[in-house]
Amino acid sequence: MDPRQPWVVPLSAAADCPEELVGGKTAKLARARSAGLVVPSGFCVTTRAYKDFLAESRLSKSVAMELGRKPLEDMRWEEIWDTALRIRSEFLRAEIPDGIASTICLAVAEITRGPVAVRSSALGEDSAGFSFAGLHESVVGVSGEKAVLEAVRRVWASLWSDAALLYRRELSLDPMQSRMAVLVQEVIVEDRSGVAFGRDPRNLQSDCAIVEAVPGQCALLVDGAVDPDRWIIRRPTGKVVQWRGGVRDQPATDPLLEPKDLDNVFGLLTQVETLFGWPPDVEWTGRSSQLTLLQARPISTTEPDQKDNRSWYLSLRPGTRRLRDLAKRVSEDLIPKLEAEGVQFASEDLTSCSDDALADAVELRLDALHKWKKIYRDDFIPFAHGVRELGRYYNDAVHPDDPYEFVGLVKGQDMLASRRNRLFAQLAGNLRDNPMLKNRLTRLADRAASTAQTDWLQALQPLREIAGGDEFLDELQRLARDFMDITVGSKRLTDQAESILPNLLELAGSGPSSNREREHDETHDPQEVEARLLEAVGQGRRDEAIEVLRVGRLSWRLRDDDNLLVSRIESQLYRAVGLGVERLRAAGRLLKEGDLSEEAIPVIVDALRNRSQRTIELPLREASESKASVRSSVKPRQLVGQPAAPGIASGLVRMVKGPDSFAGLRSGQVLVCDAIQPMMTHLVPLASAVVERRGGMLIHGAIIARELGIPCVNGIVDAMNLLDDADFVTVDGNLGIVTVGPPEFDIELEVTSDGKN
Amino acid sequence: MSFPDEPLIVPHGDEKVAEGGNASEDIVAGIGRLIHSQPFAVLCTQGQGQPYGSLVAYAMDDDLCFASFATPRATRKFRLLSECDHVALLIDNRSEFPDELMKVEAVTATGRAALLEQGEDFDRWASLLSERHPYLARFVRSSSCGLFRVEIVRYLHVCRFQEVRQWIPGNHG
Repeated sequence: MDPRQPWVVPLSAAADCPEELVGGKTAKLARARSAGLVVPSGFCVTTRAYKDFLAESRLSKSVAMELGRKPLEDMRWEEIWDTALRIRSEFLRAEIPDGIASTICLAVAEITRGPVAVRSSALGEDSAGFSFAGLHESVVGVSGEKAVLEAVRRVWASLWSDAALLYRRELSLDPMQSRMAVLVQEVIVEDRSGVAFGRDPRNLQSDCAIVEAVPGQCALLVDGAVDPDRWIIRRPTGKVVQWRGGVRDQPATDPLLEPKDLDNVFGLLTQVETLFGWPPDVEWTGRSSQLTLLQARPISTTEPDQKDNRSWYLSLRPGTRRLRDLAKRVSEDLIPKLEAEGVQFASEDLTSCSDDALADAVELRLDALHKWKKIYRDDFIPFAHGVRELGRYYNDAVHPDDPYEFVGLVKGQDMLASRRNRLFAQLAGNLRDNPMLKNRLTRLADRAASTAQTDWLQALQPLREIAGGDEFLDELQRLARDFMDITVGSKRLTDQAESILPNLLELAGSGPSSNREREHDETHDPQEVEARLLEAVGQGRRDEAIEVLRVGRLSWRLRDDDNLLVSRIESQLYRAVGLGVERLRAAGRLLKEGDLSEEAIPVIVDALRNRSQRTIELPLREASESKASVRSSVKPRQLVGQPAAPGIASGLVRMVKGPDSFAGLRSGQVLVCDAIQPMMTHLVPLASAVVERRGGMLIHGAIIARELGIPCVNGIVDAMNLLDDADFVTVDGNLGIVTVGPPEFDIELEVTSDGKN
Repeated sequence: MSFPDEPLIVPHGDEKVAEGGNASEDIVAGIGRLIHSQPFAVLCTQGQGQPYGSLVAYAMDDDLCFASFATPRATRKFRLLSECDHVALLIDNRSEFPDELMKVEAVTATGRAALLEQGEDFDRWASLLSERHPYLARFVRSSSCGLFRVEIVRYLHVCRFQEVRQWIPGNHG
């Protein structure tokens, strides 16, 4: 080891070290300590240790492979999260070289016998150029050698966290060059902690400082677990301008800090600002003479860019407490209300109401849809993080070979889509067992498809004349009413006899289980995976694990259900809109037909209310241009995506671009689509394999394919461009590869040596 | 219904929609770039059921339809080419990225090789090969050397370890 580049540097000596060795956070705290401020004792695991760990474990190559799999610009946030999870998993499974591990353990023993905080100290972190707040990991309250080494690995891995990958350009992330130092400090336990800002971060011109305090540890405030007391202090005088008590168990009547404690925190701000030359954002703990500086960095003044979705993606990772609150709110309040509203809309008879009342009904449903879409964004999507949090928790505890072993924990949840798919399979089974019924339905299907959209079930009434026909039709009616009252685009599936019936007949023809050899995911048996988790966490954390498991499963189930329930509101909107259009058409007031998109709705509502208006034209949605040119003389041979469900299957491609193409899917074909939405998972049992443009290991298509034992490759950016109906493909769900066409040499053999075909 | 968790992560500007683009041009340009950056190729021949690989210096015409290389007439590859004109050329940049598999690109070009006799074609290809490899100028025109022109039937371009696209140049497509 180079003595100028040790693996570990005590905080007391770190002020003399280059930042390239100790990272930004360590450098700042070491300088503050040298200037006489109280800083918890500690040491830095240097970037040299990270470099040697990487060289020994060859992890840099794994990181490069992960990041090179696909341009990061082409990845959705969920795929970036997946990438970060796989990298994190590799880090957690890699051994720290003995020399580095023993040096770290020795250094811990020298600073404390109690718990330590293990924090990131990346290069450039806490510098004035860029705020890294929240991008990297810190682990607080770590006890024992094994746990400390594990925490160090977690912090190292967080150099490649999903958040860091989102900001990879700003961070100049490079698998071969980037380094991470780690700061290990004793944990100081005081009865007051908080954050403070040299200037109000919302308005740096205001000449006010801000202090926030909570009872207990600072982490409670940073994680948003406890509402803090908050003071606004005039900088020139140090006088308090405003105090607001935090909302905790009891409403605060007295400030958490005495005036002299507050003066000390304000004094700390001033000292840090004088030392570094910028108004700081500090974390502190303790009162009066025990006041300790935990962290100092410049205030982040970056205004969120409205076009930049990244801060929104980062907000989709609620902490444990918020997830728990969301679980309660979503499952006990929002989902029941959403379901009830859909049922209510569906039960209303709109056919006999006046035009004005119909216009009101359309607007009521449109408002409801907007309201639920907002809730979807604000609550449902953040709650979907529960299953990711479960994955992270499982991997940290179990260190499985397969970073997606945890998906076994969410298998078999009783989701709306599963119930619909079971009913679909049951109806197909009825047809298979009753050839007379099947033959009659086959003959009636064409007639049903050509009748008015909502009357197609009426056209099937002759089925009641056949034994078993009554029960079949009642169940079919239930399928249409309870499960197919959803939309894809602006089309209601319940109106789509031309796709429901062919899909049903096709499923009936393909047999109870396909003749394909399907690889059921035996390693991910829910009970076994759960037992593995509970054994790994031990009795002490059993309750915590069960809670994470409960929230994760609820998150996964509702993540699927909420799509269908919001879609039902939309379907009910289009039911009302469709009736309005029918009336206008019948009255001869529809001069030009168009797509029933949201842009057409105000036009229809206006026409229903305003009978003096003679005719209307519905706006046409612009048709997307043909993409044939791309397929000219360049053809894909192998496309690479994510191995989202294991197994290998070959078949002819069926491009499913919308509800109009549902009916064309034949048993054994390879379903290629933009994304399997919960609204279309009933198609998946027909397919021999699934290929999606949208990527992610936890998206709907991946999960249902895994459950059914169907190979799935997703995240193929150009799947919709490069593949076409009737292409012969082999989908390798083990490696994430789609091979197009057979491995032939036809053209080479046709060409003669004089170059003629 | 469209859901807001759909867009790709594109910090500024619009979502990159999975349609349009010009994949054909990109891939052809990519093949051209790789070929022009790599002066040597592995020539694959066969005989008596035995595959054989040799490193050759090569040149290519502008539209990537033909390649040329030279070899002494006494070599094994010359004999194999006389028996079977089906060849493949492997061109790659692996030496630039020994540690980064994901950055390695390779092209396999398949086609038919023809020995050029003295004449207009011979002069054109001998000049092209000598321009790219001036140190081979005498070698190329030596009477004990054979100059071959390969008509490329198909290119298979590999990048990111497993991503493969096929381009059929000229009038074979």
